[in-house]
Parts: sequence; structure tokens; C-alpha cells
Amino acid sequence: MRTILSGVCALALTASLSMGTAVAGTKIGAIFDLTGGLNIYGIQQNNALQLAVEEINANGGVLGEPIEVISYDAQSELSKYTQFANTAILRDKITALFAGLTSSSREAIRPIVRKANIPYFYSSLYEGGACDKVTFVTGSSASQQMSKLIEWGVSTYGPKIYIMAPDYNFGTISAHWVHEYATRNGGEVVGEDFLPLTVSDYAPTLQKIQAAKPDFVVALPVGANQTGFLEQFAAAGLKDRIGIVSTNYGSGNQQVVVSPQAGKGIIASAGYFMEVANDQNAEFVKKWQAKYGTDTPIVSGAVDVWNAVHLWALAVNKANSSETEAVINALESGLTFDAPNGKVSLDSKSHHLNQNIYIAEGNEDHGFDILVTFTDVPAVFEADKCNLVKDPGLAEHFTPES
Amino acid sequence: MDYFATVLISSLSSASILLIATLGLAVVFGLMGVINLAHGEFIMMGAYSALTATQLGIPFILAIPVAVLVTMIFGALVEIIIIRRLYGRLFDTMLATWGLSLALYQGAVLIFGSVSPGIGMPQINFNVGDYTLAAYPIFMILVAVVMLAGIYVLLTRTVYGMKARAAIQVPDMARAIGIDSARTNTLTFAIGCGLAGFAGAILLPIVPATPSMGFAFVIKAFLTVVIAGPVTLAGSALAAIGVGTGASIVASFMTSVAGDLFFFILTVVLLRLYPLGVSAKWRMKL
Repeated sequence: MRTILSGVCALALTASLSMGTAVAGTKIGAIFDLTGGLNIYGIQQNNALQLAVEEINANGGVLGEPIEVISYDAQSELSKYTQFANTAILRDKITALFAGLTSSSREAIRPIVRKANIPYFYSSLYEGGACDKVTFVTGSSASQQMSKLIEWGVSTYGPKIYIMAPDYNFGTISAHWVHEYATRNGGEVVGEDFLPLTVSDYAPTLQKIQAAKPDFVVALPVGANQTGFLEQFAAAGLKDRIGIVSTNYGSGNQQVVVSPQAGKGIIASAGYFMEVANDQNAEFVKKWQAKYGTDTPIVSGAVDVWNAVHLWALAVNKANSSETEAVINALESGLTFDAPNGKVSLDSKSHHLNQNIYIAEGNEDHGFDILVTFTDVPAVFEADKCNLVKDPGLAEHFTPES
Repeated sequence: MDYFATVLISSLSSASILLIATLGLAVVFGLMGVINLAHGEFIMMGAYSALTATQLGIPFILAIPVAVLVTMIFGALVEIIIIRRLYGRLFDTMLATWGLSLALYQGAVLIFGSVSPGIGMPQINFNVGDYTLAAYPIFMILVAVVMLAGIYVLLTRTVYGMKARAAIQVPDMARAIGIDSARTNTLTFAIGCGLAGFAGAILLPIVPATPSMGFAFVIKAFLTVVIAGPVTLAGSALAAIGVGTGASIVASFMTSVAGDLFFFILTVVLLRLYPLGVSAKWRMKL
């Protein structure tokens, strides 16, 4: 018998999170996906939170003391969100929670923070409809983005729309808003295809699109596989005659993944692009790149967290207290903040942000050129359904009736 | 009519893509009986190898053999370090390769980050009546045929092929007549991994390299090999064309969800009718 070379392969992954400052001040909790499939967003969300806290602390912190951050890695698993939310509240005694990316993570956290009565900030673009006294949403909702994107699309390309969306609530609810705003703007949905997240070959969808002859396609690819759709759409030569618009293209830096040929000309609408030109953004990008480097463009989710932390700090200082009731009252007092994505204001009734919606076109350098800025766009659907000033007991997740 | 023609052509290309992603598994699982749950991650490794090679300035066509070589070497190491100790221990192999897949996935996140620039598809397309089709996916039909023929010749017409099949089917006898079965198995496993790497590289223009890309392929690849049964190569080809084309046609006329449903339901029905795979009664070698 031959002796077999024996090898030991040890892979030690140690994730150490430095946390805690010398002086104990007001404690906030942060739970984001630092590892696992969703860390494409989670790392930037966490980076933004650290950066915001650093800036606030450098300027005197809140209530005259530095903010202390208790940070957890949710590992892209829902169960970790509930576990760490409980730990952060019961053991660490945080006074506010910043957490979550997916809607399912928000819905897992919401009952916990509601019971504990702790202000909770959810910072990601999402399908819309969350309505809860202690929950504040700083990302843009589907109706907020779609209202402008469809209006722009119909007037730029023409009335006929095809929808390509992922087959779960983000896709189906977004599709509802496409229908709604198509009708309002004199457009018409000529076809739609809801795709499982595991599909990687889009030939059938491309044929259906060609058969329906739309003026433009609303594409909402989620995850790595669906990014391939954009590549295949371009290679089939469809981009020259059919427009392609999206509310989530760029939110996970998809513009870096797709080739320049496929990415050029894709229209994205979002609450933030790194290319936004204003002084706050220039300063924000400079700080970010000094700390985290220039490798990866900043995604909108990071700015949503940045805004959430600043709004919370403004409210605490305004209320001169970190007690929940006082902070929520201050948050509901019509707070505004000069954010990297332009001036934002917190709607006291819906707990959503009125914010700019940008329409941008993908360019050849894996980046965007901003085409149009719609200022101070409200979260249409949430403002309509959700009035937490009048009815503070509401705890709902509204979905549009289709 | 044009619509039907384009559906047929592109469905064949969908089936070919499935077959390309499956053939490595057909060798490792179908031939060797090793359940390699890291198959998808070997595809991912091939994609990243090819991507890195192109970023270093190597033309894409030459990046493909680089990817094959990288995954073959890694596959050989995996066989020597892990798989070799677990032959005949089905569940242990599954657990070990699943662990390997998690480590490779997270390793890719650490090394390449969660987004890498893609290389894009050649912007060549052609018309069938009113419809336009991208040329590169259609080219995959040819690639699948050549790949299938190449593996068939390698395993049936070469001395290595005979040794490989002997070392797996009757290991003791193979050793008795002087075949170094351990080395042969290492090579066979490495070839299976190399095929996965080839798939990742050749499909790179269609499916961009991401750490999680393996998940998309691995389930359907496994089902295809299970449907195929003992006559691995011909069976996999038939299964991929039958189930893959069928699912794609259903997706074209109905919805993509219906296409996926069709794929899985057909798998269940076929396995109910042929519990040992469709090729259980065939009298072919591979």
C-alpha cells in the first residue's frame, strides 16, 4: 500500500467586530448581514452606520455623550435577526435599533421592537406598506419609485409596457404599481413574466417580450442569476429597439456585474446614486472612500442607513432625551435632514421619507449618468394608507388590492 | 410559426446549457457514484478562474483551458485530501462535500467580494422572421455536442477510459491486473471537476460570475443525472434534452414558474416510472 499524503485543511474564519467606545453613552443596536448571501448589501449598511456614528460623535454625540454601537452579524439568516434583536434589547439595553435588509427580516423584527417599545429604523428600498408606531422607513417604497419611473418611461418610450419581475412579494407588488401608474399615465401593460430566483436562462422571456412588442420593459432582477437577464436582453439585440427601466438595478451594484455593452442605456430609478451632484454627497463620498476605499460604488441602502442614524440623532437632541416616547414625538415633528441624496423630510403620519427620486442611465464605465431629479417625492401609497398620528395603535403591512 | 421556431431553437439551447452544467456531475456522480454537493462551486470556480484570466489580459478563448486546469488541479487535491477517504460512505461524502461547498462559497466572497465585473456576451444576433436571437446561447448546442462526444471517446476508446471504468466497477480486480486504481480515481474525479470548470468558463458570458451562481445549477444538474440512471452519458443527454427542452417550451408558452414546475413534476413522474433512471435497461456502455 502506498502511504497517502495526508493533509489537513483548516479554514478558520474569524470575524471580529470591534465595538464599544471608552465612554458609555446612548446605546444603539445594529443588525446587518455581514456574511452570507446578502452581505453585498449588509456590509455597506453597517459601514454607513459606523461612519454616521463617527461623524455624530466627532460633533459631540447625542445628549452631550458619544453614541455607543452594539453590532451583530445576522449571517443572512432570519432566525439570527430575532435572536439578536432580543439580545440587543434585553441584555444590551439599546435605545434604538437599526437593522434588516429583506422585508422578511423587517417583519421578523417588527413584533419584537413593538413589544419592547424601541424605535426601529428599516433602511432599504422595498415593496412598501409597513405601518407601525415604532418603525421608521428611510428607504424608498415601490410606489414612490414607480410613480416617477412609469410616468417618465411612458413619455420617453411610449405606452406599451412589459414587466419582468421576481416571483415573490417585491416583484408582484411592484408589478401592481406598474399597472396602476401605467393606467394613470395613459400606458398599457402588454405582458408580464414572474420568474423564480433560480432561473438563469432567459430565452423564453426574451421571446415573449418580442412577441408582445412593448415600447419598454420594466425589469426588476433580484439576485445574481437574474442579473444575467440584462446581459441576455442586450445580446439578443433588443436594447436597440426596446427601452429597459428598473427600480432596483444598481441597488446591489448590478452595474458593476453587467458588461459595459449590456449596462449602457439601462434606466434605473432610485433614491440615491453615487453620482448625485451636491455638496453633502461630495463630502459623504469623500469620507466613505477615505475609510472604506474606492473599490465598490456606494449603494442606496448605505445612504438610507446614514440618513436613519442622523435623523435619530437629530430627534434625540431635539427631544433632549433618548426615551422612546420623546424620541418618537421628535421624529414625528417634521424633521428634515440635508442628506447625500438631497434634502429628506420624515413624514410624521406614515413614518416614511419624502425624498428625491433620481432617474439615471447606465454608462459605459459601470456607472450612471443622472438624467432627471424629481424632488421631494412622497411615499404615495404609505401616505395614503397609514396615519400613525391619528391612529397610533396601527401595526399593519398594507398591500395594494389588485 | 416564427415564434414556434425560435422557441424550439432557444429551448434546445437551454437544454444544452443544462447538459453542459451537468456533464461534470455525470462523471463524478453517475460514473464514480460520489455525490459531490460542491459541484456548483466547481462551476463557480471555473467561472472566476476564467474571469480572472481575462482580467489579466488573456483572451477569453484561452481563459477557458486555464479555468479547466485550475479546477482539475483543485479537484485532484480535493479527491486526495477528502473524497478518497470516503469511498462507499455515501452520507459522509455528502456532508464533506456540502461543507466544502459552503467553504468555497464564503471563500469566493472573501477573495472576490460579492460583485465582480462581467465579461459580457458577444453582441452577435440573428433573425428568425420577426424574432431576434442571441448567437452565443445557440452556439452552446454545438458546445454540448462536442463535449458529449469528447467525453464518450475519452471513456470508451482510450486506455485511460477503460482503466477508469474498471477501477470503479471492480476495484479489486482492477488492482489485481496492475491498474493503480487510486491514481485513476483521482484523475477521473479531477476530470469531472475540470468539466464543471469548463461549464463555468464557457457559460460565463451568459451567467455572470458570482459566489452563489452554483446554487442555480446544482439542483437541476443532480436531477438530470438521477433521471439518467446507469448509462450515464447518453442518459444525461437524453434527460437534459427531454426535461430541459420541455421545461423551456412550457416556460415560453406559459410562465417561467410553470416551466420550473414542469421540470420538477416530470422528474417525479419519470422516477416513478423508472426508479433506477430512464437508462436502466439500456445496453450501452455510457
